[in-house]
Amino acid sequence: MSTSAAAASARPTKPRPSPWRWVIVAAVVAFTWFAAEQTRFSIPELIENFTRANDLAKEFWPPAWEVARGLVDPFLETIQIAVIGTIVGCGLAIPLSFLAAYPTAPGTAVRVISRFSMNILRTMPDLFWAILFATAVGFGPFAGAVALSIFALAIMAKLFSETVDAIETGPLEAVRATGASRFQAVRRAVWPQVRPNFVAYAFYIFELLIRASVVLGLVGAGGVGTSLNRWRQFFQYDRVMVLVLITLVIVLTLEAVGALVRKRLS
Amino acid sequence: MTEVERPVEPLAQRLLRWGVAIVILGPMLWSVLGLEISLTRLARAPGLTWTIVSAMFPPDLEDWRKSFDAVLDSIYIAWVGTIIGAVGSFVLAFPAARNLAPKPVSAVARFILSSIRAFPELLLAILFIPVVGLGPFAGVLAIGLHSIGTLGKLSSEVIESSDRGAVEALDASGAGWLSTTRWAVIPAVMPEIVAYWLYRFEINIRASAVLGLIGAGGIGDRLVNLLRFRDFPAAGTVLGLTIVTVLLVDTLSARVRRRIITGRWRRQGRGPVATQPVPVG
Amino acid sequence: MIELRDLSVVYPGGVVGLDSVDLTIPDGQFVVVVGLSGAGKSTLLRAINGLVPATSGSVKVDGEEVVGAHERQLRDIRSRIGMIFQTFNLVTRTSVLNNVLCGRLSQVPTWRSTLGLWPTKDKDIAFDALTRVGIVEKAYVRASDLSGGQQQRVAIARALAQKPTLMLADEPVASLDPPTSHQVMRYLQRINRELEITTLVNLHFLDLAKEYAERIIGLREGKLVFDGAGDDVDDDVFRDIYGRSLTADDILETPTL
Repeated sequence: MSTSAAAASARPTKPRPSPWRWVIVAAVVAFTWFAAEQTRFSIPELIENFTRANDLAKEFWPPAWEVARGLVDPFLETIQIAVIGTIVGCGLAIPLSFLAAYPTAPGTAVRVISRFSMNILRTMPDLFWAILFATAVGFGPFAGAVALSIFALAIMAKLFSETVDAIETGPLEAVRATGASRFQAVRRAVWPQVRPNFVAYAFYIFELLIRASVVLGLVGAGGVGTSLNRWRQFFQYDRVMVLVLITLVIVLTLEAVGALVRKRLS
Repeated sequence: MTEVERPVEPLAQRLLRWGVAIVILGPMLWSVLGLEISLTRLARAPGLTWTIVSAMFPPDLEDWRKSFDAVLDSIYIAWVGTIIGAVGSFVLAFPAARNLAPKPVSAVARFILSSIRAFPELLLAILFIPVVGLGPFAGVLAIGLHSIGTLGKLSSEVIESSDRGAVEALDASGAGWLSTTRWAVIPAVMPEIVAYWLYRFEINIRASAVLGLIGAGGIGDRLVNLLRFRDFPAAGTVLGLTIVTVLLVDTLSARVRRRIITGRWRRQGRGPVATQPVPVG
Repeated sequence: MIELRDLSVVYPGGVVGLDSVDLTIPDGQFVVVVGLSGAGKSTLLRAINGLVPATSGSVKVDGEEVVGAHERQLRDIRSRIGMIFQTFNLVTRTSVLNNVLCGRLSQVPTWRSTLGLWPTKDKDIAFDALTRVGIVEKAYVRASDLSGGQQQRVAIARALAQKPTLMLADEPVASLDPPTSHQVMRYLQRINRELEITTLVNLHFLDLAKEYAERIIGLREGKLVFDGAGDDVDDDVFRDIYGRSLTADDILETPTL
């Protein structure tokens, strides 16, 4: 069949692309431009500053390794804060998630209140929690640990409750039908299904918390951040560099270990 | 009647359960002892917190304008930072995808992304300040760079888990690498990737709020100063504004993400919005 | 014309895909390949267009050697070979027309295809191909909104858009119900006759093979064990190919009594 006039007229007409597409693109571009202005974003300035690189490099390099020894304890403290935050936060998140998830919530009122509290808790940045608790219970790692616990609770609750929302309700119904209590039913019929997700989220949150914990000291909530704050205020960037490099090593190692463990578990 | 032998729980499983308990309790104990957290401190904490929080009500709406401007600043910083992250991650995601790029290329790309991701935005901002000076610009760069790292990793994972069928078909027809990627991979992965961009914006709003602490714009340092001078009602305003703003952004973003992934605006059934920032399994 | 000489494919790990296969297929022939899963049917097809590298031997398509060809040449050869798959392998999130246009990718300048600025000539070819498989009216429909049979027809149109001299079909009807399977096989047959495109089809079902094939190739454990007309496939031949007697699983439609 060659392209004859009859064949060509059998073709459907091309549907008009909706104007919305262009409206959205235009709006995004316009807002980006506006926001860039407001934040004084400027590429020429960026380039200009980076060509000053040589002078800058002297501020950062070589790293002041002599402070590394003094960082060991603070880093341990940082890790300890992250550990507590992860375990406590994820632990508390379990009941909250079950209360907030459709299949396991004991009633609409409880579920709605739980979801709402979860969403509110989630809005606060980690350091805001830290500032708040540092003011309330005093500066130091205790405030940091509490802050990160709540932070982890919020994140885990959201992730985990969504996972529970998506489970197969069959096993749950079967167990409830035998007369088991709500708690037992959840423990035996739901938990095994969602446990792998929970573990994966916990690892993710731990990695997240380590990073958050490094800067907690900027608001007086313990860890290496205290030293970081002091050094940056005195423009001692070669010392900051030491902290940066050690952080890099710790985080990358944790990531590699996490990936290995995940591979072994599956 | 012959006795039926009951199987005994295999040793490996029992060891695993003990192992898990140790892995959780061990570090916990070490940390609690290391930080010298006493029960008394723990007991007094809720009371102390309540004192502060209750002092924030009713919030002082006098100076709300200043706080509002600061919140707007946070939004601008987060937006531009997310755009930078989206563009940068899009470029890096393809070389980082192990099913698209040769091994050495993807290894390098992944390493770069992992390294960028390792630093909290605040730390990056501290490093940028001597380069571009104080102010929101440093914050934008910090958030942008960190976002490139996280979005890059997530995007590359989306690409790696995409269906290979269409790619094989285009390969078999003699199409080149670029054409195949553009026509078989990109249409399949774009909805999920754009959803991740939006999700990242939600997170970046929180990150940018905090940047003020080191003078990189945003509402963070206002909060610190107010608390330092024990002006709790005004601090309450700041926190309240933050909560409301973030809630709004979260809800809007969730709706748009839902539309992108499922094609509808309202939730049908109880499923999540299908954007999990965590690789599971 | 396709010439396979002493073609062997051994997968990493030692699994033998093809074992010294000798085969010549003249232009315009409609050949069906049958055999158990794992007998080498898929390997045979993929060795012809180089998706699976040959371990030894030679594959010549229209006089050009596929084994060991470097990338440029391989893409050139592949542009003249159309392939359809059991799972259709369409880009589900885009329109039928865009899918078929992908068949033109090897012939259109990269910058034009990347930006979606397809030349009119190529759009005409795409529409022609869609008309030939009878679904031109669905040109702007999203591929995933179509039924299985319709999607396979889009896949055929995509292959046709390449203006191929050879058509490879790897179990094209395995995911389709009997009436649709016949419909797709009939399209393949018509295309073979009207456009004189050499066609090589892998089929699981013997009755389909006998109904549509001009020539049947039987593979067993990578070796060619039968090469002849459909009528010549009796019980003995069947046992040679399948290693057992005919069962209901091997036939698409159980005969009504």
